[in-house]
Amino acid sequence: MAQIEQSDKGKKKKGAQKKMQIHVDFTPMVDMNMLLITFFMLCTTMIKSQTLQITLPTNEKVEQEQMNKAKESEAITLIVSTDRKENGDIKKDDDGRSKNIVYYFTGQPMLVDDNNDGVLEDSNLEREVFLGNEGSTQRGIRKILHDRNKQVLAKIDDLKVKWRNKEFSPNKDKNDSIYQAKAKEIRNDSTLTRPVVVIKATPEASWESLISALDEMQINQISRYQIDNINHNDSLMIEAYVRKHGNN
Amino acid sequence: MGKVKIKRKSTLIDMTAMSDVTVLLLTFFMLTSTFLQKEPVTVITPSSVSEMKVPTANLAQVLISPEGKVFISIAGEADPNVADGEWGSEPIRKEILTKAVSEYNKLHPNKKVELTEADANAFSKINMFGVPFQALPTFLRMSQTDQDKVISDMSRADVGIPIDDNKDLTKPNEFQIWMRAIYSSGNDNLQSAMKKGEGIAVKADQTTPYSTVHHVLDNLQTLKMNRFSLMTALKTEQD
Repeated sequence: MAQIEQSDKGKKKKGAQKKMQIHVDFTPMVDMNMLLITFFMLCTTMIKSQTLQITLPTNEKVEQEQMNKAKESEAITLIVSTDRKENGDIKKDDDGRSKNIVYYFTGQPMLVDDNNDGVLEDSNLEREVFLGNEGSTQRGIRKILHDRNKQVLAKIDDLKVKWRNKEFSPNKDKNDSIYQAKAKEIRNDSTLTRPVVVIKATPEASWESLISALDEMQINQISRYQIDNINHNDSLMIEAYVRKHGNN
Repeated sequence: MGKVKIKRKSTLIDMTAMSDVTVLLLTFFMLTSTFLQKEPVTVITPSSVSEMKVPTANLAQVLISPEGKVFISIAGEADPNVADGEWGSEPIRKEILTKAVSEYNKLHPNKKVELTEADANAFSKINMFGVPFQALPTFLRMSQTDQDKVISDMSRADVGIPIDDNKDLTKPNEFQIWMRAIYSSGNDNLQSAMKKGEGIAVKADQTTPYSTVHHVLDNLQTLKMNRFSLMTALKTEQD
């Protein structure tokens, strides 16, 4: 392979050179290539980060009338938190995932304080966890959000089928963009019952838990959500919940 | 008895095929991968189902270390043909540095920061920076290895861009000075990307408490840069 044979055709001419074998040794070449490959493997990355785009309201003071108060029946408040050990490290479950908890209540907070001592006995707070789908069934908080946004999701599912069959346009990019535009229309369709989600985070909550909550908004096609600061009542409700139901 | 003669065989192995394979592999790696950017801390971003890719050009990336230290990296236009090669990463960083330092000097007339041309050149070579204005001259005059050592030492007080809960934009904190300088650097591509929310990416470790990250988000909101993206890794709905 690496040798070049100089075969002489026909009869030997007088004074013709002898049959020569040129052998090129490729070993150093392979050595060098291997070094280069190692270099590229160590210094480069194949993974490109994904981004999650969000829009937050500005910090300017908004007039009370301008604030569009969410309808009570549509509102759901999520309070994300992370289970931490006493030294502040995050508790992990058996699979090595961190234990992110999400407390939620619908509508207005209902505070039960029978003896008016500022310590709550009960509230309408519930606890859930972030869980992935099992097959195609939702679990955990995703199921609750899914059920509340049923109308939008049903329409989007229909749309997805059309998109998969390329019914909008045979061109892939065009098909995608039409699908995106239509999905957005459905998400913002005010004739459907759509939930308004308020996301809050306790001081212990990890960045991951908040991203998980934002992610649920994406998965469940919820267009109206906001991130808010946790207030005193929220902490009281969590305290009452933990006192009543224990930490697990 | 006759001796069995063992024929001497040549031990030369033909390396041509091997070399072919390695060259192919090399080409593959060179074409598909991108170089790792030097960052003061390695963070593992949380995962989401969002499939939007992070842009490589016209991006201001804000990195938050688990200790709450803030770093910024600026990438200009990757394509030199756009805007006549005027706005590659290096010229844009220089422009931002000049803007930010003059803004800082205007606000703090007693503690002016003086930078030379060589300092500005050194700054334009740094991918991710994060030192207070007062420490900038000393930092930029260090050798590159010393710079790396300083910036990755999270226990130092002079590492990380100072940030607080300031809401008054007439007296901006250092993070706000930097972000405003990036926004008004004169590069239209970067500015429009920032307006659309693609130009600002916030990156933090998944274990970082939200209260730490919230600080930065709150500052961005104060700056009216309320559209931005969060860096995540990919996962599926099954996870």
